[in-house]
Amino acid sequence: MKLAWPRNPGEGGWVIPAAYAGLCLFSLATLWSVTEGIHGPYEIMDPGVPKSIFWRQVVWVVIGWSVLLTVRNLPLPWIEQGTPVFYLLCVLLLAIVLVAAPVVQGARRWFDLGPMRLQPSEPAKIAVILILARLLAAFHAQEKRLVPVLLSLLLTGLPLLLVMREPDLGTSLVFAAIWIVAVFWYGLSWVLLLSLASPLLSAVFSFYAETVAGSPWPWGLYLLVLLAALTRARFRLLENLGLMAANIVTGLVTSFFWEGLHTYQQERILTFFDPARDQFGSGYQAIQSKVAIGSGGLFGTSYLQGTQKGLAFLPERHTDFIFSVVGEELGFIGAMLLVGLYLVIILRGLQIALEARRPFSSLLAVGVVTYFTFHVAVNICITTGLMPVTGLPLPVMSYGGSNMLTSAIMLGLLTNVGSRSFET
Amino acid sequence: MPHTRALQARILRAAILLLFGVIVVNLLVMQVVKHDEYESQSLENRQLRQRILAPRGRILDRDGRLLADNVYIADITVPNRCLGQAGPDSTLDKLLTWLRLPRYETLDRLAGEQAAGRPRLTLVANAAMPQIAVIEERGRELPGVKVVTRSRRRYLDGPLFGHVIGYVGETLPGEIGAEDDPDGYKPGDWIGRDGIEAVHEERLRGQAGYTLQEVNAVGRVVGRRDVELRPVRSGQDVVLTLSQALQDTLGAAMGENRGCAVALALPSGEVLAAVSAPSYDPNVFTARISTKDWQALQSDPGHPFLNRLTQATYPPGSPYKIVTSLTALQNGVANPATAFAPCGGSYQLGNRSFRCWKREGHGGVDHTSALIHSCDVFYYQLGLRLNLDQLAVTARLLGLGASTGSPFRGEAAGNVPDTAWYDRKFGSQGWSRGVMLNNAIGQGELLVTPLQMAVLTGRVATGLADLSPVFVRDPAPTSSPGQRALPFGAAHLDWVRRTMRQVVDMGTGTRARVRSIEVAGKTGTAENPHGEDHAWFVCFAPAILPEVAVVVILENGGHGGAVAAPVAGRWLNAYFAQKESPEVVAP
Repeated sequence: MKLAWPRNPGEGGWVIPAAYAGLCLFSLATLWSVTEGIHGPYEIMDPGVPKSIFWRQVVWVVIGWSVLLTVRNLPLPWIEQGTPVFYLLCVLLLAIVLVAAPVVQGARRWFDLGPMRLQPSEPAKIAVILILARLLAAFHAQEKRLVPVLLSLLLTGLPLLLVMREPDLGTSLVFAAIWIVAVFWYGLSWVLLLSLASPLLSAVFSFYAETVAGSPWPWGLYLLVLLAALTRARFRLLENLGLMAANIVTGLVTSFFWEGLHTYQQERILTFFDPARDQFGSGYQAIQSKVAIGSGGLFGTSYLQGTQKGLAFLPERHTDFIFSVVGEELGFIGAMLLVGLYLVIILRGLQIALEARRPFSSLLAVGVVTYFTFHVAVNICITTGLMPVTGLPLPVMSYGGSNMLTSAIMLGLLTNVGSRSFET
Repeated sequence: MPHTRALQARILRAAILLLFGVIVVNLLVMQVVKHDEYESQSLENRQLRQRILAPRGRILDRDGRLLADNVYIADITVPNRCLGQAGPDSTLDKLLTWLRLPRYETLDRLAGEQAAGRPRLTLVANAAMPQIAVIEERGRELPGVKVVTRSRRRYLDGPLFGHVIGYVGETLPGEIGAEDDPDGYKPGDWIGRDGIEAVHEERLRGQAGYTLQEVNAVGRVVGRRDVELRPVRSGQDVVLTLSQALQDTLGAAMGENRGCAVALALPSGEVLAAVSAPSYDPNVFTARISTKDWQALQSDPGHPFLNRLTQATYPPGSPYKIVTSLTALQNGVANPATAFAPCGGSYQLGNRSFRCWKREGHGGVDHTSALIHSCDVFYYQLGLRLNLDQLAVTARLLGLGASTGSPFRGEAAGNVPDTAWYDRKFGSQGWSRGVMLNNAIGQGELLVTPLQMAVLTGRVATGLADLSPVFVRDPAPTSSPGQRALPFGAAHLDWVRRTMRQVVDMGTGTRARVRSIEVAGKTGTAENPHGEDHAWFVCFAPAILPEVAVVVILENGGHGGAVAAPVAGRWLNAYFAQKESPEVVAP
């Protein structure tokens, strides 16, 4: 085994476990800091997050490792065969959670199982990756690709809509991302994909420009990029003009529709996307997170010394906003180290997907890569204020069993594929 | 199709790197380029500039007894926005449950406070310890909820010192200083509104201090790295010349009567006791008076807010005969033995008849017995031999017609009319010498305040021209009170004092007699066009080497000798009894 970036298939089985180990240590170190109280002259200030969180995470790390190693060594055909049952089970749980789960902050998302919470949307992410891999791999050799793509849309859309009903917009978008990348990897022309999705994207960008950015430039920039892409990809004047017109119209309609709403209606829609936004006044979490990261500077306030963290200004600092703690205490350098670890997993995963011989394995690896990319990028964008706040954990880092188990299973599947890339 | 897949992988990799490139550049901008901006926001987040209100100075009596102090009470307050979020499981909802507050009443009250535009709402005023404990223990679940301690002014004797001490009130919008003025008043500060509280506001108030404290997200002070920006300077105590015991005695001596009584120490002019009745309880102002209570006080027919000591003016009535007599003696118009036509109960001037208070008349009286028995007919005839301006000069020398220099706001000057005044008022042809008759017996257009009469009495008793009332002990006396004598012949003043002694011994003021002490006084019955006559009594004691001067006026009381003199007598009894054995103070 060589400790160099693997160039050939079969090499580099150590890369992902090493990055995973690094993330586990990073998580534990950060959670230790989050659960330490600041020492005043009279008392130690309650850190707000109990030390037990750290010790629980230690347990989850151990469990995570065993899960990863177990999944890594399962025969892939078993996994492939079990996929439909697993998928149906997950969809069933997602349906039940909408009826039976307790309402917390206006949403039904998880079952309370005593020592831990089961959030069915977490295994559902794995299930969707698996079922898409299985479905699209089955139609691998087919020339006509419309039927499998529509089927895959159906299989993704069902859990997506169920999760959206909870409501949990952030998570439902993960499913959308997984589907798009999967059908792209399956062979759907990215130009076609983009063309079909572009009016929807235009609406999203327009909405983003209205609500988060407060200026129309993100939407304008999107239109420019689209125009450039279209002219480069294929030169058919009528089609391109039609597509651009559709994009502009949907964007403008979204904007006019939004402007036409009363403030309280807008607030209601924003609250639908983010039930927690009202709790401490709008934008509080995002502002505190940005202040934490920005005040960290190049080298950070140094470990354990973050005041945004220590004085509890930072909300959800052990879960969704754990990246802000890293940004505050370890600065730009620490944040780069963390981002680097994720990039190692993502880029190595992409390589595994590329090298995998079997379509199922390859699609599976791409799904895991999408999961990590989406979660990491969106989580960091939320903590740095580039995206509106929706609950989305940072894989491995954020405290929690569901998060750790999902990440471990995903990485187990990825390494499983990686270790068998030479198999056909 | 390995070729296609490689292309796909390249596109995906490019997209991923682009995405992470944006993230890295954004982090670089936040953490390196805009770092200072965020760092100052982080500081601002946790450093709270805390204003520490100076404890207001106390007010003590001459013996060091506490009259006004501060009590500290804790309020549980919530931010204004809490009210808008009063759904189940909200902060407000938890508080209502945990503190066991009546739900709808409390919400109604808070809505009222919110309408009044307060930045924070007082959920519980004057909270009890168990309630405070709930907030302290569960602070984390109650963002923005604070226990705010504030001091409340306490007036230990309530209405007894109402008009002298006055009261404090919350600052009004016009009094609030600029945001950046460290010494300016802030909303919610107390400010002296009346009496000594208002006069000595600067001394009592002290100077607020400032600190920078590190706080956590729920506003709890961490207690490390606090910076003192400016130390707090407590307000200074104010020591009154009044005595709590003597004030109590005077209040009791007044009984249920409406009017005013004041006692000066001689020759210092220090006010020992000053009662204006009815009074009000200043404590009602410090506990956020309700509109209903305020209106009730405002519309009280007894006018409890009127400080009769300096703000009410009355005709001086018969005590003014002292002024007339002194003027006559000083100008050689009469001597103690002078006698005019005997008193038959009235005096005829032109076609008008002027009555003596004694219907059946005093018969033949000389100057001395005219003062002793207060014969109006004698003074009508004496007045006709004087001129108005001579009378006014004497009155002013004795302290009438001008402010006494008391510290109270809105002190009335009274009125000592002279020729020029009547000319202005009625035109030079519009009035006759008949006004002299009224002026000679202290009626007509003459107006005095009770405090002015006390000064007059004190000046006559001591012969000191500059004797003025003093309410507060000067912490650093700069000038000793003037020893300038009144420009009256010593024999004239002496005759007045001796005659006043006889008033109490055998004349109209016998009911002010005190066992073993000689009292010199003068009764009066001031005619009141609006109702029953006002009863006056002015006196000093002992008659030789006087120590105190006492003035009593009872509104609509009738005859001064009958009702006002006993009030003075009761107080003097207690005063001298207390001097002999300081333990026993009873009227």
